[in-house]
Formats: sequence, structure tokens, C-alpha cells
Amino acid sequence: MISSINTAKILFVAALISACAPVQPWERGNLAKPQMALDPYPLQSALRAHNYGSREAAAGGNAAQGGGCGCY
Amino acid sequence: MPRKGVVVGVISRKAKKPYLRHLIKSFDRLRTNGNLLSSVALSPFVVSLSNHERTQLANRLLKKPECASLQALTAAALILPGLFQPTAKAAEDDSVDFQYNHYQEGKRDGINLFLTNKDTSIASKYAYAIPKKRNPIEVDSLHGSARVSLTDRVKFAFNYIEDTWSGATPFGSAPEQSGANGGGRGGTTFLDGKPIISGATPIARSNTYLDGQGNSFYKVTDPITGQSSFLKDRAVHVLGYASPETRKQGDFKLSYEWDEAALNMGGGISIERDYESRFVNLGGRMDFNQKQTTVNLGLSYTNSAISAVIDPSAFHWTSKIEENKLITHNPITSLNTLNSNREDWAAHLDLTQVINPNTVMGLGMGYTRSTGYLANPYKFAWIYGVDPNLPDPIFEGLPTGIFKAHSGMFLEQRPDVRNQWNWSARWTQYLEPLNAAVHVGYSFAHDDWGINAHTFEGDWVQPLGAGWTVTPRIRYYSQEAADFYQPIFKVNATIDHLTGTLDVRQLNIPDNFSSDQRLSGYGALSGGVTVAKEFAKGIGLEAGFEYYTHQGSLKLGGGGEQAFADFDYWVANAALKVNLSALGQGGASGGGGHGNHNDHPNIPAGILFAHTLDKAGDMMVGYRHNRAMQGGDYLHGTQHVGEPQVVAQGCPGSPRQGSVGQPDGCSLLPGEMAMTMHMLELMVAPTDWLTLMLMPQFMDMAMEMDMTMDNTSQPSAHAALGHRREHETGGIGDTGMYALVKLFDTPQHHIHASLGFSAPTGDVGIRRAEGGNYSGPFIDYGMQLGSGTWDFKPSLTYTGKANDWSWGAQVGGIKRLEGSNQSGYALGDLFETSVWGGYDLTRWLSATIRASYTWQGVIKGRYPRRKAIDASIELQCKIQSTDPDSYDEFGVLRPSVFHPDAYKQCLIDSESAKQLADAADRPSPSDFPANYGGHYGDIGFGLSATVPTGALAGNKLSFEWLQPVYTDVNGYQLDRDGALSFTWSYGF
Repeated sequence: MISSINTAKILFVAALISACAPVQPWERGNLAKPQMALDPYPLQSALRAHNYGSREAAAGGNAAQGGGCGCY
Repeated sequence: MPRKGVVVGVISRKAKKPYLRHLIKSFDRLRTNGNLLSSVALSPFVVSLSNHERTQLANRLLKKPECASLQALTAAALILPGLFQPTAKAAEDDSVDFQYNHYQEGKRDGINLFLTNKDTSIASKYAYAIPKKRNPIEVDSLHGSARVSLTDRVKFAFNYIEDTWSGATPFGSAPEQSGANGGGRGGTTFLDGKPIISGATPIARSNTYLDGQGNSFYKVTDPITGQSSFLKDRAVHVLGYASPETRKQGDFKLSYEWDEAALNMGGGISIERDYESRFVNLGGRMDFNQKQTTVNLGLSYTNSAISAVIDPSAFHWTSKIEENKLITHNPITSLNTLNSNREDWAAHLDLTQVINPNTVMGLGMGYTRSTGYLANPYKFAWIYGVDPNLPDPIFEGLPTGIFKAHSGMFLEQRPDVRNQWNWSARWTQYLEPLNAAVHVGYSFAHDDWGINAHTFEGDWVQPLGAGWTVTPRIRYYSQEAADFYQPIFKVNATIDHLTGTLDVRQLNIPDNFSSDQRLSGYGALSGGVTVAKEFAKGIGLEAGFEYYTHQGSLKLGGGGEQAFADFDYWVANAALKVNLSALGQGGASGGGGHGNHNDHPNIPAGILFAHTLDKAGDMMVGYRHNRAMQGGDYLHGTQHVGEPQVVAQGCPGSPRQGSVGQPDGCSLLPGEMAMTMHMLELMVAPTDWLTLMLMPQFMDMAMEMDMTMDNTSQPSAHAALGHRREHETGGIGDTGMYALVKLFDTPQHHIHASLGFSAPTGDVGIRRAEGGNYSGPFIDYGMQLGSGTWDFKPSLTYTGKANDWSWGAQVGGIKRLEGSNQSGYALGDLFETSVWGGYDLTRWLSATIRASYTWQGVIKGRYPRRKAIDASIELQCKIQSTDPDSYDEFGVLRPSVFHPDAYKQCLIDSESAKQLADAADRPSPSDFPANYGGHYGDIGFGLSATVPTGALAGNKLSFEWLQPVYTDVNGYQLDRDGALSFTWSYGF
């Protein structure tokens, strides 16, 4: 677990460092494409998360959205 | 000609506002030349503009769009420098989405019972798959959502989700040969070397042999030498059955957007028969660093109430455990209900960072604290007590270190606090040569129950051109077991020296214990593909498939649960996405066609097939909701009749169950019934005179049944006494395909015919759940999800309109094209006719009133007799007519002897028993085909609103309440309360 936290910290710092080279708005054409959305299929993702949530112990931080019991 | 560099180069954060004004002015000048800009101006990726600014700009630009060429040029200039919006792009546009999802679990491992083969005298395990006979759990889900902009800055989103599930699912686990699954060693009669097991209902009390480590063993005695040996047993799942049950969830989110920040709040409710959950959430977004960095923060609170009826066999053994305090016993119904509550607080923080022009990274962390009743009231654990100080009696012949163990079945118990943390990292990479994007992610979750979980996932989004996108994905999940998880539990106990038995109620139960496989150690690998197609007009279709396999051996680092707990599932889904923003622009550039809808005659919401599209190329998307309710008194013909008469005459031949000394009659009476239909209307006009329509349906039904206790009590009294049973069903209904042909079309009068078919896609084989390994009896006809037959559905519609007045009439019907469906019956044919009038109260609001008459015939045919019951009666005959296998005093097998004449006679004698068993499967008036159909007269009151202007122009909402005024039923039926129809439609 600790190593994972460290990994996360390293990634975070790496992100901040690379953020120092600004990406200008006109360079963001690719980022704007639909396939580059963080979640290209939010509808399906919600249902998949519900399926995983009813079969796995790690809630994935999605408890925020309610979702009932899944008592089956 | 504006070039990319020119447009964008001016935009820096400080200079943006003045530049925007300048930009708008320059476009105003451009427009004086005639023309402007198209849909892309509304893209969220235009320059560095906020939604509000973009809308402002777009509104200016769209005032007089005419010339396509300049429009394209300007569009090209504006689209280039998109700005990444980490908060899901889809949320930016006004949209309406529908999704259907089917989850199907694979069959679980069978159970091998240890039996002696009569021919070889060799004891071995026969593969006898008790759970394999039952359909595993399956879930049908419907998801509808809408997102609309109330103003430039205020957005409102609404979601509705409905899940219906049923099927076999594990209660817990126990040693295979312990008898916990019913039958088992010693308790099984067998014939011709095959076991006869009456049911797979979990048996609360079971015995096994355990060693010091808790490994279970079973005893094998050699029939010849009499020597016993002990073989290692394995744990298996004990399967129960979940009857059809529905969950409904509605939630909303309201958000306010600033140029570089947003706040949102939302809430919702999820309702199940036994679980009610309410939740609220609050979130915020901040953009920094020229929107290269975005931070999201979310908080949520969920409060859930649990009210679960506990399996009676489990309740007996719960007397020592903590949860017993939560259970109340109803002395009249003998039901034990667990009432409790849980609360979940969750917080998450996400950071999204643009790394370079082709890369975005996300980091997230979350914390969830859950308190209260965190167990699952339908999961049990078998806890075995052994007395290590007492050698078992000599005749058991137990080797050293092996002990006889006695168990009880206990309701699982979990800690009442759980703290979960999770960390996640995501990487999104654009691959220039392929125009593809790759998403990879990892997350780690840790909780104080001892569960650590890793998730790795990746997908590859590959656009193929022409609006097609294919996305393969893969996911791997691995978790460690919870500290208190075990497939079987061993505790030390003291055996009564005199009787050699052990009172399991005196076992020292651990504080927490669970055999729920979700808390076991395992790995899960899943993969799938999503295919999406975007149509030019802003309509999108998505279809996805995923296969998931859960295996102990896939656990990261090994040490996962044994193979008995492995299972798999597949999920298929399909979605229709309607982007109102994109459609609205199409309409605007096409000359504002939506105004036309005001010129159409008003049609009450409850009338189908009454509207055709205007011209070739037009499309329409609509959603229809229809809820019909029954309740109150019973009718026989047009007469209200009392319960005694219904009980006596409504269920001919049905025995009165559970009421000793009562005459035959109905043992259940429906108290209330509600049927809800969700219909999608997808219309397209290939030519001016023809409109094609596809209409998928999703249904859900709920019926409350009261047990008839005696001839005097009233239904309300039953409810108060807890004699109420609820049945629920839901899922895909029948699918309609229609062609609407214009016959006569003038501005004032319009006549069209609709011809079509309804395909039997709705399930008509739904059964009531029942213990044991038999399928239960069919749920009544009215609760099935479709007709089960191909149906012909013609109709003829006339509509007229003059000034503010409109009117219309329709005749239509349903003709069943098959004599019976797969469940042995066909619904009655139907004829219906309506006349209506409407008046436009304002430009956007109108009212309708209609009169309707409907006739429907009785159901033809009936459900077949249950084969399983017949087979079981025949099996009893076989047992009675056979001297079973036995051993003589020397341990030699005497094979069974079958007496065919006795068997034949028994079959003849048992016919009445079969008929009685069949009649007992039909306890309520709604189980009799003669109690369906009738003549119905109704008056409908409707309101209809059309959005005339603005971003949502062209959207139409209609409501209608249909009030019964005349009801003449066939047989005995529950009176009607009325029906509510609601429709939303959008033409483009």
C-alpha cells in the first residue's frame, strides 16, 4: 500500500513538472477529440461500475452516486 | 479568411474578454456580408471560451445562417484550437439518452454427491448438479437520462434507472458432503444408482469432519470390509433463489458554471422492496493554469434503510448473534424481519492535467466511511463446532486429528464500520498516426476489513470514419479476502458427553464472519468491445458487450479462493443518444422547422400511431410512459362483488391453501396492480407519404396479493396483519415495427393508416420463485412482459385542425397471429377506438379531451401443468413400486427390484394428485384465462406543451389521465383506477 502511495506521489510531482511547459489553446485540437475524453462512454461506464460494484468488494469511490443494495 | 493562428493567437487569459467582444463584433461584421457559422461554434472545444461565452458567441453567429461556404470556413477556423474539458464532454450538450443492459451470470458448479454404484459397489462421486438446474441470476436494466441547459450557466440533469433481477445465487458455502445443500450423504434415497433429492433448499443443520486447520473431510465405508477412510472434502456454494424483484432509482444534478469553475449539487432515491436508499452530493470544479489543470472535488452522503424478511431456517440459529437485536418476529405471519440502517459518507478529489498536446493525465483519491448494518441479510455462513477434548466414539473410527463437527446456518455478521480509501491514476494518450486514443488506468483500494484491491484497465478508442468508433477494452481486478471471510468456519465447542451431540446454539460465534464470495480473495479478468455510430443529425447509437470471469486462481500473488467459487457473467447493452444541442443547430440552419409543430393537431398522450412525419428525411425520437393501475373492489361483469364471492367463484377448482376447514377457492387475491410501460418511438420518413416506426418497450409490473384468511376479513386488514405478498416483474417487452401511410393530407384534414407487427421479444415464461430445485409455477398472465405471439396491429387515424381547435378519431386493434405462445396461451384480440378534441390555450400549451372504448377478448389456452411436479409424482410412484438398493448382513449389495404393474397403477391413481397440484399452482383469479378481457369506456384529460423557441425548441411534452367510466369485465377482475400517460417527443 505504502509503495502505491509513493508511486502516486511520484506521478503527481511528475505531472506538475510537465505542466510547466504550457500547452497552448491552439495546440489542443487532439485533446478536444471525443476519443480523448476521460470517459468516452459515460453511459456504459455507469452501468459497468454498477455491475462491478455488485460483485466486487472495492467500491471504487463510486458510493457517491447511490445505487441501492445489489443484494443478489 | 481567418486563420488558425490569427484567431487563437490573440487569445490569452488576460486578453480573452476584450478579445471575445472583438471577435463577436468581427463576426457581426461578417454576418452583414450574409452568413455564418455552424454547429462547431457550440462545441465545448471552441477556443478558450467558457460555455457561457460560447453560447453567447453562437447565439450571435446563428442569427441568420444562410451561406454554407463561409459557414464552413469560419467553422474550420473556430474548431481548431479546442480546449479539453475534463468533466465528461457529453455533459456539456443538452441530450436525452436511453440505454438497455442485460447481465447474465453463467451457471455455477454442480454439487457432487457421494454415492455407491449398485453395479460395481464402488463408492464414488456422481456429478449431480443441483444448482445447474436453476437459471443463474440475470438482470435487465433500463436507463434514461436527460441533460438540459436551463440558462447558459445553469444545467439540470436527470437520471432514471430500473433494474429487475431474478435467478439462483449463492447464500453461502459449506462442505460438499455435509448435506447443507439438501440431500447429501445418508439423507438421500437412491434408485438405480441415481440420487433422488427433493430439493436444494439449504439445510440449516449439517455435519462434517474437520481437522485442526478447519479442512473438511467425509467418511467412506468400504461395504465389504467395513473399514472407514476419510477423504478431503471441498467447499461448495449453497444456492438460493432470488424471485423477480425490481429496483428503481431517480436522481438529479443541478450545476452552475462559471468561466473557470463549476459547482453542482444533486440527490436521488433508490427503491427496492427491502432496501431504500437516499443520497445527496455536492461537487465543485476549478480550472487553473489556462485550463491545463482541473481539480474536481466531490462529497456525498447516502442513507439506506433495510427491511429484509429473513429465511426462517436461518432465524432459528441467530439467537446468539448481535444481529438478532435487529430482527422482529411477527407472531401472526411467523415472518422474521430484519430492520436496520446504514450510512455512507464519501469524498473524492481528482486532478486532471494536460501534459502535452497529445496527453492528459488524471489522479484521484477517495475516502468512503460506511457505518451501520453493512452485511447482506441474504447471506449465511455455516459454522462448525468441534470438541477437541472429547475423542469421538470408537465406532466412528476417527484418525488422530480429525473431529466430528456439527454446524448451524447463521446470518452473516460484518463489522458495523468500514473505512475505505482508494487512489487512482489515469493516462490518456492520443496516437496521431491512427487518430486513436488509448486510456489506461490503475487504482488501488484499501479498507480496514483487510481488503486490498488492484484494478488495471485499458481501452483503445479507434474512430473508423463515417461516424463509426470501435473500442476494445480489458480490465483486471484482484482483491484480498476480508479478515472475517472463510468458506466454512470452525469453532471449538463442548459436546454433551451423554448424548454425543452438540448444541449449535451454544457455539462461540466469532464477532464477524461471512462466506460471501465478494469478500473472498480472487482475481477477475474481463474484456469487451463497444461499437458506436454517430449519425449526422446528432443521433448516436452505442452497443457494447463484455465478458467477465471471476476466479480464485487469478488473484494477484496467488492464494485466492478455491475453484468452487469461480463464476462468470456477460453483459450486453445498447444505447440511443440524442444530442439536442446538435439537433437544434441542424434545425436552426435548416430554417427553423420546429415552428411547424405548433401547426400540428393536438393528440392526447395516450394515443399511439396518430402522428406522421411531414416530409422525406424527417426524423423523430420519442419516449412514452404509460402507467395503468388497478385496485379497489372486485368486479364480475359490471357488478361490484364482495371478497367471499370472488374467493368462492373466481378460481374454479383451486384448493384453499393454508386454511384448514375452508371450502375450495382462491387462496390469493390481487389487492393492487400497476403496470408501467416505457416505450421508445423512433420514426423516420423515407418518403413524404411513408413514416417508419420502431418501438422497443421496457415493462415493469408490481402486484400486491392478499392471502384470503377467512370469508370475513377485508384486504386492508390483510395488509395490516402482514398477509400481503408482492410480485414484481420487469424487462424488455414486445417490440413494435410499423409503417404509417398518408392517405389524405391537406392543411386541415389528415388521414393515415398504420400497419405493423409486434414481435414477441417480451418474456412470457416468468415464474414465481420457489425453494427446491424445481421451477416455480408461472406468475400470472397479466404479469408477463409480452404477448408471446406475433401480433398484427393495424389502425386508421383522422386528425383535423382549424385555428386553435383540433380534433381527431382513431380505430385500431390487435390480432394475435398465433394460437398460443411458448407458455401455452395467447392473449385476447383487442379493438379500440377514440375520438378527441383539443384547444390551444396559449401558443405553447394546449388541452385535450377524449372518449375511448376498448374491447379485449379472454385469454385462449392456459399455462401447462408443471412438468417438474408431474415428474416428482411419477418418481414417487417409481419409488413406491421399487424395492431400493440395500446391503445384506455381509455387506453385499442387493440391487433394486422394480414392479411395473404397481407402477402403472400408481400412475393412474396419481392423476388426481397431479390435477390437485396443478390447481394449487393457480391460487388467484388472475391465474385463470377466463378472468381477462372485457369492455372498457374511458374519458381522457390531457395537456400538451411545446417549447416554441430557444435551445429546446421542438421538444414536446404531453400528459393524459384516462379515467375509467364504464367497466364490464370477463369473469372476476380487480377494478380499474385509471391510467397515466406521459410522452416526450422531439422532431428534427
